[in-house]
Amino acid sequence: MAGILDVPKPRINCSMLSQFINRAVCFVGRVEKVHPTGKMFTVMDGEGKTATVELNEPLQEELSGIVEVIGMVSNKGEIMASTYSLLREDKGVPFDLELYNEALKVIHDFPQHYPFQVAASG
Amino acid sequence: MTAKLTQGAVAALVKGSHVENPVLQLLNIRQINTTGVPRYRLMMSDGQHYLSSFLMATQLNRLAEENLLVPHCVCLLKRTTKNTLSDGRHVVVVVDMEVLKSAEEAGGKIGNPTSYSTEGQLSSPNKVSSTTSEPSSTSDAEVPGPSNNSKGWEKDFTGKAPVKISPMKTFPMKGSPMKTSPMKASPMMTSPMKGSPMKGSPMMTSPMKGSPMKGSPMMTSPMKGSPMKASTSSPGSVPKVMPIATLNPYISKWTIRARVTNKSNIRNWSNSRGEGKLFSFEVVDESGEIRITAFNNEVDKFFTLLEQGKVYYISKATLKVANKQYTTLKNDYEMTLHAHSSIVPCTDSPEVPVMQCDFVPIGELENRDKDSIVDIIGVCNSAEDVSRITTKTSREVSKRAISLIDTTGKVVTVTLWGEEAEKFDDSGQPVVAIKGARLSDFRGISLSALFSSTIMVNPDLPEAFRLRAWYDREGFAVDSQSLTETMSVSVGSKMNWRTLRDVKNENMGHGEKADYFSCVATIVFMRKENCLYQACPSSDCNKKVIDQQNGFYRCEKCNREFPNFKYRLLLSANLADFGDNQWVTCFQETAEVLLGRSAEELGQLRETDEAEFDEVFQKANFSTHIFKNRVKLETYNDESRVKVTVMEVLPVDHRVYSRRLLSNIQKLAH
Repeated sequence: MAGILDVPKPRINCSMLSQFINRAVCFVGRVEKVHPTGKMFTVMDGEGKTATVELNEPLQEELSGIVEVIGMVSNKGEIMASTYSLLREDKGVPFDLELYNEALKVIHDFPQHYPFQVAASG
Repeated sequence: MTAKLTQGAVAALVKGSHVENPVLQLLNIRQINTTGVPRYRLMMSDGQHYLSSFLMATQLNRLAEENLLVPHCVCLLKRTTKNTLSDGRHVVVVVDMEVLKSAEEAGGKIGNPTSYSTEGQLSSPNKVSSTTSEPSSTSDAEVPGPSNNSKGWEKDFTGKAPVKISPMKTFPMKGSPMKTSPMKASPMMTSPMKGSPMKGSPMMTSPMKGSPMKGSPMMTSPMKGSPMKASTSSPGSVPKVMPIATLNPYISKWTIRARVTNKSNIRNWSNSRGEGKLFSFEVVDESGEIRITAFNNEVDKFFTLLEQGKVYYISKATLKVANKQYTTLKNDYEMTLHAHSSIVPCTDSPEVPVMQCDFVPIGELENRDKDSIVDIIGVCNSAEDVSRITTKTSREVSKRAISLIDTTGKVVTVTLWGEEAEKFDDSGQPVVAIKGARLSDFRGISLSALFSSTIMVNPDLPEAFRLRAWYDREGFAVDSQSLTETMSVSVGSKMNWRTLRDVKNENMGHGEKADYFSCVATIVFMRKENCLYQACPSSDCNKKVIDQQNGFYRCEKCNREFPNFKYRLLLSANLADFGDNQWVTCFQETAEVLLGRSAEELGQLRETDEAEFDEVFQKANFSTHIFKNRVKLETYNDESRVKVTVMEVLPVDHRVYSRRLLSNIQKLAH
């Protein structure tokens, strides 16, 4: 888990999963269904597509709403989560998933302006 | 110098074909003696044919009375309408006409026109009466009517198959004593229904449509008395209907078949001339729409009978020029029901349109004029709750704002009032169509439903289905742009969005007048030491007072001394964004917003609790806001400096801001 926190984790949506196989990513989406075992759940991105997230340990709590998952993309296009965090819906401005998706597209369309690399320190 | 006449126009007009502004020469004018208003019959020539079946509408009588219509003058017929008499003769009514050349200028008869009627078309008038009077004895003459005509005309017809007149429908040539007057050029072609505005019935043997001229002995008016209406007798007969678009006050007998699109409530009035009640409704058919009003007795007779959405046969009402003040329909005329008016439900007319709407795409509303009446259709993607407000006239009324989006991706807010507001159901994102809403420039672009507007939810219109399909497929996710400003923040074109470095780069404020701009920026520093000053306590005066050190404070402006003062803020702050930073001045109102405290409070805090005073500034530091600023180059003792004053501070709506950034990015990308 330590490893994944040190590398840049591009934000992606479902359409980009295939391009990031075996890479660390950050995925934001709305929780759709949670598997009965609690070790897996599906999320929908701003475009309406769905991805599967797999956890190391089963969920300890109820999961619903918008969630941000950090993990590796498996060969099958699933996200092997290292960590996740829920965006609170009761506070603040509601998260606009469609708008987020638009921003994602811009980030990926103009990599020259949004480089994904560890900033050189010093 | 001979004027050019429109050859062939006479033949065309009589047949009912449309001729664009025909130029004809007047050969003769004769006054018909009628009771009351005089009427003039004209003999017009197009150089090829002449015909005396031209009747001038009474509104043009002055042309005759002022002796402008001298035989051989050349005229331009600006508007005509064709009418067919009960006996099949055709008359062209000249509704609007202009004299192009006087008789002298024209210099005599142009061409060598022959009488149109005598082109072998008709038999003598006698025949007409004899043949047509037959059916009069038989009411409900189904076949006899028309076919009689054909019998009479048959041999006179050149190429006009009597078939046309075939007895499909009844044509009650009922009992009218057809007086055949010695009309020249008489009865042309019965077949015609050509011009005859009879809708829907293949039949067309005219007679139904009556004589345009009431009381004119020239034409056989009689129809009046005869009950030629759908409502009467003739079992299984369908009345001849004419298109609403052709209705005018000069037709004495007509029937329309139309659907009620909008029915108002009964309104009572009471003024110096008396009192009464009325209700009005609008009807539409394939050709157009018209407004109908019923007063007093007719209200009782027809109000409950008429239902919005249903189709009726309507006839015998008074046609008059429309009072545009009360209606926005596209019709020059409107109708008033009277004691003899007839309204009969029609059960079999699927082709009558539900509504005549000319929908404006929401994206195009920006191009329309303020206060214009438009029709729109869109999906209601959000609606506020009903609220009650009190109007200037102290009346309480319900109001509701709903948002409509359409395929242009633009959203507009529509305000509904009264009952419509209360009963509107926004569940399921319905398709809403509004006919006759007023465009207003309230908050950018918005629409308001009027008393006369028709609001339809999920209407049975092709546009509605298209919108539903679009919305369910993609519309719901579209990043819509509202034309109506719901927040004072983004008023699109009015807000001059800039970044801080633009202030220097564009030399803002250097002109004669101050420049204004808006920006998103973060506070990075505030001068808390000198942010408060002691001001004159008078309500309108904010001048700094001088502490007399004796417990009194003097205001130079008011020229008075006061035992107290009020604290006011004058905050100097430094704002920054990605590109630059800028010193700005915030006065009382904007400073209070930034700090979240009133000047008085801060004044007290500074004296009593310094820690908390500092805390206020700590909290505000590095907060991001939208700043609306005024920039001006000011000169003070030989020194010129660009001064920026904050006029307003607003919270950043990140979604709106993001959309603006995305849109800017897209613009830059192309």
